[in-house]
Amino acid sequence: MNAMTQLRVVRVILAIGALLRGIAWGLGAAFTLFAGAALIDLATPLSLDTRHLILAVAVVSAVSVGASMCWRDRGVLSLERVAMWIEERLPSLEYTLVTAVETGNVSYVAGVKTDRWRPIAIRRSGRALRTPLVVSVAAFAILLILPGGAVARMTLPHAGDSIERASVGGRSTASRLTPMIADVVPPRYTGEKPTSVDEPRDVRAIVGSALTISGRGDAKGIVARMGKDSVAATQRGDRWSIAMSVSTKAFAIRLTDRSFERIVAVEPVIDASPSVVLSAPAHDSVLRTPKGRIPLAANATDDFGVVSASFEYIVSSGEGETFKFKSGVIGSQKPTGKSVSLSSALSIDSLELKAGDIVHVRAVARDANDVSGPGIGVSETRTIRIARADEYDSVAVDAAGPADAEKSVISERMLIILAEALEKRRPSLRRDTLVGESRRIASDQKKLRRTVGDVVFTRLGGDPSGEEHTGEESPTRAKTMEEMLARADSATNQSSDPIDFEGGESPVVAVNKPLLEAYNAMWSASTELEIGEPGRALPHMRRALELIEKARKAERIYLRGAPPAVVIDVSRARLKGKDKGSASTRRALSAADSAAHSRLIRFANIVDLVQRDQKSAIDSLLVLRIDALADEPSFASALSDAADAMRRGRANEASIALARARRTLAGAPVARDSLARWSIVP
Amino acid sequence: MTTEFVFATAQYDSGDWDSAPLLPANIIDTIARYTEITVAPTGAIVPLGDDRMLRYPLIYMTGHLPVRFSDAERRNVKRFVERGGLLFIDDHNHDVDGTFHKTATEEIARTVAPLAELPNNHPLYSAFFKFDGPPTTAHELNGWGDNLVHKHLMAVERNGRIGVLYSSKDYSSEWNYHPDSKRFLSVDNTKFAVNLVVYALTA
Repeated sequence: MNAMTQLRVVRVILAIGALLRGIAWGLGAAFTLFAGAALIDLATPLSLDTRHLILAVAVVSAVSVGASMCWRDRGVLSLERVAMWIEERLPSLEYTLVTAVETGNVSYVAGVKTDRWRPIAIRRSGRALRTPLVVSVAAFAILLILPGGAVARMTLPHAGDSIERASVGGRSTASRLTPMIADVVPPRYTGEKPTSVDEPRDVRAIVGSALTISGRGDAKGIVARMGKDSVAATQRGDRWSIAMSVSTKAFAIRLTDRSFERIVAVEPVIDASPSVVLSAPAHDSVLRTPKGRIPLAANATDDFGVVSASFEYIVSSGEGETFKFKSGVIGSQKPTGKSVSLSSALSIDSLELKAGDIVHVRAVARDANDVSGPGIGVSETRTIRIARADEYDSVAVDAAGPADAEKSVISERMLIILAEALEKRRPSLRRDTLVGESRRIASDQKKLRRTVGDVVFTRLGGDPSGEEHTGEESPTRAKTMEEMLARADSATNQSSDPIDFEGGESPVVAVNKPLLEAYNAMWSASTELEIGEPGRALPHMRRALELIEKARKAERIYLRGAPPAVVIDVSRARLKGKDKGSASTRRALSAADSAAHSRLIRFANIVDLVQRDQKSAIDSLLVLRIDALADEPSFASALSDAADAMRRGRANEASIALARARRTLAGAPVARDSLARWSIVP
Repeated sequence: MTTEFVFATAQYDSGDWDSAPLLPANIIDTIARYTEITVAPTGAIVPLGDDRMLRYPLIYMTGHLPVRFSDAERRNVKRFVERGGLLFIDDHNHDVDGTFHKTATEEIARTVAPLAELPNNHPLYSAFFKFDGPPTTAHELNGWGDNLVHKHLMAVERNGRIGVLYSSKDYSSEWNYHPDSKRFLSVDNTKFAVNLVVYALTA
């Protein structure tokens, strides 16, 4: 081996020595730090954070010390420095080795003896390693002789290792409740890792977690109390432990060991239900026709994961008090992950919707909670309504308070039953019996008709009794429905408004049309019943019932968001207001008209006088006429006509004029509940 | 802030919340007739999603259609009950298999707590008039809806008092008439409403 090759071997030996010395110093620094910290931890427990810091400092110290030492000895990598280092130890070389390295001319060291170079380098490296090795070994020896677990707490610090800390001078009289740890194993569905808490005071755990509190020593005599319940500790090796499950309610664990006591508060963490947001459809909407597909989209998120998601729909059909429902689920998914996007489409055609139907759609997601769940999250609900054909041109009517119905009125349904029964018994009845019973039904039919008439005219703003109570044969009575509609239209004074017209009739009339038709059907029915024909009355009665039902449904139209404002007179309700009685339900009798009564007597006397003394009668008529001119002009006119006819000897004209005067004085004829004049009944 | 009692009707986004428009006036009339409670002559319509709903001690809610609370409604209902309010929900369908019943009870369970049967000797039934339990309605006796005569009301209690009262008896139909028509009744069928109001104000 020539000199240059030997020089390189020496450089490698020195470099290895320098590296080992750096490592030894680094280890020595770390071991010393660990040993010192462990000794302090034995005396006073160091916190987990402090121990993490010490571990970091130890690692950094080892690396930095080792690196700095290696950096200081970086000269061993230079051949010139190594050659000079050999020249210093072997002066006999007389700088030939350095000159050969610098010039590259090996002829300067040809024949130089190199056998001593390697031993010199090895000895030097060994001497350099001696001190750091001693330090490292000493520190390591200290670590070895420390109690079990003390070094692990420094080199591998973790939550829950307080129970592994060795105690110095442990006494049998000391509390076994210190050190203590709490191990929490979350439910498997959460996928969370088990955790430990040193010296627990407050423990937060997901509902359903397994909680184990443990400490060192014998389990005998250690009891945990939770409210009225108590649990004794069990022995596991050299430790005691108490296991329990975390419920939905927070609770405190009172641990006792002889006179020692510790309290651990357990706060359950409730697994939140999935949060679901329905992004499509974004708004409630109205469809004119039940066709097409509506895209559905939603997002669901959960703290531990969504396991199923779908869209739910409910279709409600009907109105008023009568509704039918059907429901279903579409777009079901079984996703995995904490965030899920859900999409599907709602086929309107397949739902076979009708006008007025409403579809309620929402998204639903469930989590994997198999302990206290599953947690179900739902989105807001969107409604899709199918428009009614007439809703864009109809009138919404505020519901009015019911009219003061006459309770003695028999319902149309009951009248039909009575009429059907009478018709059934007809073959076995005498004609007069049949007519009598039929007229009784007719009488009730009339009462009901008047009630219907009052309702209609009250709504139309007219006099509730103005229609019916003028008498059956009154010339003012509406004979046909068209006439009644026309009069109702006139009463509302709205027929001049072109906006409200639909098919040539005002909206008020249109809304009340069913009742008006029912009114006329009842009229026809009562006419048939009056002549003892219940069988012919029945179609009219059934028609009336059908129309009443139709009107009943028509009434239940409310302006959404604006129900009728009924203001209660609180004082009146408490009988403290100015209203002293129920004047609205009773009509005061009209004051006696003494003047009319006197004229009636005088008129009767004059009529008697006509037969005996026509001239005196004419004078009396003229006197009476003058008396009545001021307040009874029509009566006075009739009297004048009668006197004039008598003067001219026209008895027939005089009789007619006197009859007119009598009718004028007596007022309108009184309506009587009797058979019509054209009746064929004998 | 007013000191008079205002009968509040709940307005919620889903369903026909205004299906009994005459009921508030009728109940106000009843309160005026039988008690000295200072009562407002008209009721109020209160959106459940509006924080103003927290001002009312008693809120009446009804309908036929599915009940789906929005997030704001759910949050407010929960706050309302926690603050001591009484939410009275009446199923206008009178049908335990009906959609209103299913959805409303589901919403209450999610928002507040599951409903439980209210015992018929509960202080509610003796808060003013004496009842042996919830008064029977004509709808029950007529066999409409679910064809049942319900023996109990359902409720969620908070701190010893009712927070949510749920009825399947259809008081909304029973009481939905103009107060002037009361004179035709031999027995006033709205008396139980007095107990509701008195309980809400005093319990």
